[in-house]
Amino acid sequence: MTVRFSSFSHSRRRLLVTLSAVTAAALTAMAGLSPARSAGAQKNVGDITFLIDSLGGTWIPNNSSISSFQGHIWGHVTDKLVYVDAEGKVSPWIAESWEQSSDATHFTLHLKKGVTFSDGSALDASAVVANLDIWYAGRKSEGINPVGLFPKTYDRAEAVDATTVKVVFKAPTLGFIPTLGYHGSILISPKSIAQPAAQQADLAKTSGSGPYLVESWKEGDFVKLVKRKDYNWGPAAVGHTGPAYLNSITYKLVSEPSLRVAAVQSGQADVAYSPSPQELKSLKDAGFTIATPRYLGFVNGLAINTRLEPYNDAKVRQALQAGINRKEIIDTVYTPDWKLATSFIQSNVPGATDHSDLLAYNPGKAEKLLDEAGWTKGAGGIRTRDGKQLTLTLYSNPYLATAKSIDELIAQQLGKIGWKVTIRAYDVVTFGEKVRFGGPAVPAYEVTRSFIDAGTVASILTDANNGENWFNLGDSDKQLNELRDKIAGAASTEIRDPLLDQLQTYVLEQGYFIPRTQIVQRIYVQSPKLKGEVYNGIAYASYYTATIGE
Amino acid sequence: MTLASVSSASRVAAISRLTGLRVPPTVALSFAVIALVIAWSLAPGLFTSHNPVVGVPADKLLGPGTTHWFGTDHLGRDLYTRVVYGTASSVTSALIAVVIATVAGGLIGLLAGFLGGWVDIVLARLVDVLLAIPNFLLAVIVVTAIGFDTTNAAIATGVSAVAVFARVMRSEVIKTRQAIFVEAAFLMGGSRRHILLRHVLPNASRSVLPLAVLQFGLSILVIASLAFLGYGDPPPASDWGLLISIGKDYLKWPWLVYAPAFVTIATVLSVNRISRWLRTTD
Amino acid sequence: MRGAYLSYAAKRLTQAIVVILLTYVFTFVVVSILPGDPITNVLRDPQNGFTEDEIKAIVAAQGLDQPIPVQLWTSLSHFVTGDLGLSMRSNRPVTTLIAEVLPSTLILASAAFVIALLLAVTIGYGTQFLPKRFGQGLLRGLPSLFLSVPNFVIGLALIHIFGFQLGLFRVIAPNSFWATLFAAVALGIPVSARIAEVLIANLDNESEQEYAAVARGRGLGQMRLFAKHLLKPSSLPVVTVIALAIGELLGGSLITETVFGRTGIGSLVQRSVSTQDLPVLQAVVSLAAVVFVLVNLIADLVYPLLDPRVKLIGGPKYRPTTADDSSTATSQAVTS
Repeated sequence: MTVRFSSFSHSRRRLLVTLSAVTAAALTAMAGLSPARSAGAQKNVGDITFLIDSLGGTWIPNNSSISSFQGHIWGHVTDKLVYVDAEGKVSPWIAESWEQSSDATHFTLHLKKGVTFSDGSALDASAVVANLDIWYAGRKSEGINPVGLFPKTYDRAEAVDATTVKVVFKAPTLGFIPTLGYHGSILISPKSIAQPAAQQADLAKTSGSGPYLVESWKEGDFVKLVKRKDYNWGPAAVGHTGPAYLNSITYKLVSEPSLRVAAVQSGQADVAYSPSPQELKSLKDAGFTIATPRYLGFVNGLAINTRLEPYNDAKVRQALQAGINRKEIIDTVYTPDWKLATSFIQSNVPGATDHSDLLAYNPGKAEKLLDEAGWTKGAGGIRTRDGKQLTLTLYSNPYLATAKSIDELIAQQLGKIGWKVTIRAYDVVTFGEKVRFGGPAVPAYEVTRSFIDAGTVASILTDANNGENWFNLGDSDKQLNELRDKIAGAASTEIRDPLLDQLQTYVLEQGYFIPRTQIVQRIYVQSPKLKGEVYNGIAYASYYTATIGE
Repeated sequence: MTLASVSSASRVAAISRLTGLRVPPTVALSFAVIALVIAWSLAPGLFTSHNPVVGVPADKLLGPGTTHWFGTDHLGRDLYTRVVYGTASSVTSALIAVVIATVAGGLIGLLAGFLGGWVDIVLARLVDVLLAIPNFLLAVIVVTAIGFDTTNAAIATGVSAVAVFARVMRSEVIKTRQAIFVEAAFLMGGSRRHILLRHVLPNASRSVLPLAVLQFGLSILVIASLAFLGYGDPPPASDWGLLISIGKDYLKWPWLVYAPAFVTIATVLSVNRISRWLRTTD
Repeated sequence: MRGAYLSYAAKRLTQAIVVILLTYVFTFVVVSILPGDPITNVLRDPQNGFTEDEIKAIVAAQGLDQPIPVQLWTSLSHFVTGDLGLSMRSNRPVTTLIAEVLPSTLILASAAFVIALLLAVTIGYGTQFLPKRFGQGLLRGLPSLFLSVPNFVIGLALIHIFGFQLGLFRVIAPNSFWATLFAAVALGIPVSARIAEVLIANLDNESEQEYAAVARGRGLGQMRLFAKHLLKPSSLPVVTVIALAIGELLGGSLITETVFGRTGIGSLVQRSVSTQDLPVLQAVVSLAAVVFVLVNLIADLVYPLLDPRVKLIGGPKYRPTTADDSSTATSQAVTS
């Protein structure tokens, strides 16, 4: 098998797209963007405290790497094969270069030399293979889950030599390289991977190759990271590859948002995560740094169940699209740091196009559409048709702190044009049990979802190839299916981008997806003394490059 | 024990005390507070002209003043109005808890005390189990099992208080049963049912009533605590506990916590005062 | 008499064990009513992107799809041998989790208990010796006031005033002396009210009794009288209150630890509840039940030795405070 594979690979070599040159060019461009730093700051050492609202559940790497909370710690303790910046640009990290076959089924990764995990073992090709294997399969009977968004088309990986890994897929997988920069794809020492689940759950017993290592931790309390002095393989894209500047980072759990913020205000801590958006303006005025990085992904919005009355009627969906005042949401619930949605994917995703005209607030148009659809205003201002009221149930997304406030506001806005909106708020457990895309009692699912490559978007929307069937259309919408298949088959971004644009127009025009705002799921309030942190494509803050002043 | 009988009983008691001019001023004040709270819950619209659900987003987080007595919240809604409209739910949920505790606890205590024997032994173990779990922990676990909303929080609160009522009821029933007049009734050949209804129940309920009133105040606090931990109703509900819980996210605007807290404290304090008065005057 | 006491003790011990086992079963059944578990919950996080079929396969691989009686039997047989299992949420041994947080809760609860006791005794003493018209009415109202304030409001107010306005403690270092003290005050205040109520009722009762009057006639100093005659007989029911206060402290720690950001049993419960981490909830409830049952057992075994008036009948409900006096029964009922 191996022999056949290599001969196959050789015959294809001429056809391979060599990415090394491209990435080198990208690097030169990015060197200029790296955070400016005064000369004296290089010697700076210091300790920072980061206040966080939760430290998640288990620390088994596979099960916790994508956690909105634990991801912060993993981002400092581990490295990834590639780096994805806030604009979605992919650049080398542990993988110095890579090649892929023209049908995107065979990939070759060339690794950096001399990289070690904190337990002393080498980060070589066999370590990468062990990681790829466990990301794909997990060890389900032990409670170690697969990494959710790792390509299901994965076949196998093998170490060609100490620094070369070949990865084979059963079907074309354009998104593989960007996925390696996704927060799920963290590199863990093979010794840690071999440990049983209960050992892996002890954070102190897991080793990564990152610029920090875990000095101590206590469940539900804190995690203290200290810098690794021999670290010398940071991602070139952040403009620094040596050891980190800050001596230690302590992640401390403080569950009340107001306490986190007040602690930073009074100088008791340096960063507060997830403050209440209401407080941001006064904090900014007081000189604190506010960071609202957007992740690459879908905007926060509603995926409409098109099989449910009355949302099977395009006019009703379009009325919904026009009946929401998105600017008022930002003005009331958020601050100007939030951006209006311009599509159903975030505007920083490569391939996202501006469709603001389709998302303008136009209550007159909404009322007209509802009149046309036969919903007339009755007693109490609520519209009815054949004795049935025009209702909408919103299930507040428990993963977004502001979801309830937004739902309340939308209920008021829609109430004005004759909608009867009820709000259900469940905890995460009940939400997971009861609320699904296209569920029988779920007219609208509130989406918060990141992705690393826009190519995956189209395939999620329908039910083909294990898709999630967001709008409950099955494969009934010919035009959507056609766009989906064309996007999946696109060999380059030049071909793909116009198709993505068509897809965005179509989904918004049909009222399949009702955007609310661009999402900022990770908000940071930071002491003005702390400078130079970098946000990656999934909006996690990295303090690897940060320094702290007087 | 129903809502009607609790309030009518206390009203009768109130009137009899008032006519006898033996009502301490603090008790009179307590009755006034409770009267206002009941009025708020029955006809909130009479006390405020603002809308509890729809606010003026531009007027968010205003301080207390003449137009907004308790200030406004993060969506520009009048906080006083939210408190007034939240009263019905706060009061009703506390009542649900009291009714569950009194009926279930009373029944268990009555059966155990009146029948005795193995019934008493089995029920005593059940009560022991309920007593062995700290009250609030029990409420939290029950509300987890039946789902998070205010009615369920009320049910959980009621369940967590069942043991207390069962214990008091049981000891009262035993006491009454042993009392001379009941023994006399037995000797005179009265039926069990007759003795239960005519002698045991009325006597036992005399010490259960102040306990029920006290439990009402306690339930308001427990339900508020559950709401504080996030086990209450979804928005735009405005139960007092929920309001405090929302307010804690905005500590920079402290009235969002202190205004609903003040109303809660005043109500519970009044209820406790009335309960103590009922206990000492009977 | 000796034989009677031994058989009474044996009976109470059996009852105690039965209650602990029943509590375990009760919790299991109650928590298992709702479908869902922390593992599925994590898998359903939309960021994960798992499909329903994948989730089902993973759950089945861990035996979570077995019928509830089977799961209960497995769990109960492990519990009897002292094996509390692994947390479903964090995959770490439940005993480790509890051992990590127990010291913090013990410190908080003991501090709160001392504060509650000091407050209660001060109030109790005050009601007996302050002039009737003036301070006394105020003091008698205090327990009622303490019981009317939600303890999260006390906590928030203490943090707001002492943590931020006065800067007396660092909110993010909840284990420092001042932070612990204020958390203990927040937790102790409602408990003190419950102790004070029973103490006042008993002191009132005792002071009416004749021998107190006689002692007063002999011209004993007020303090000595209080210490020698009043506090001692009154302390008997207070021991019961202490037993019940333990439950109150444990329950209250849930809120107080959340408000003050402390790591402890309470915050562990809070986290486990929100993710339905059954093994941890089971362990904590059982622990609470064991403590409660043990304290009561000791009280029940000691009472007959202290006070010959107590009849050896068999249940805690026959203790003097509960059954003999309906007014103390009411105040004690509130305590539990």
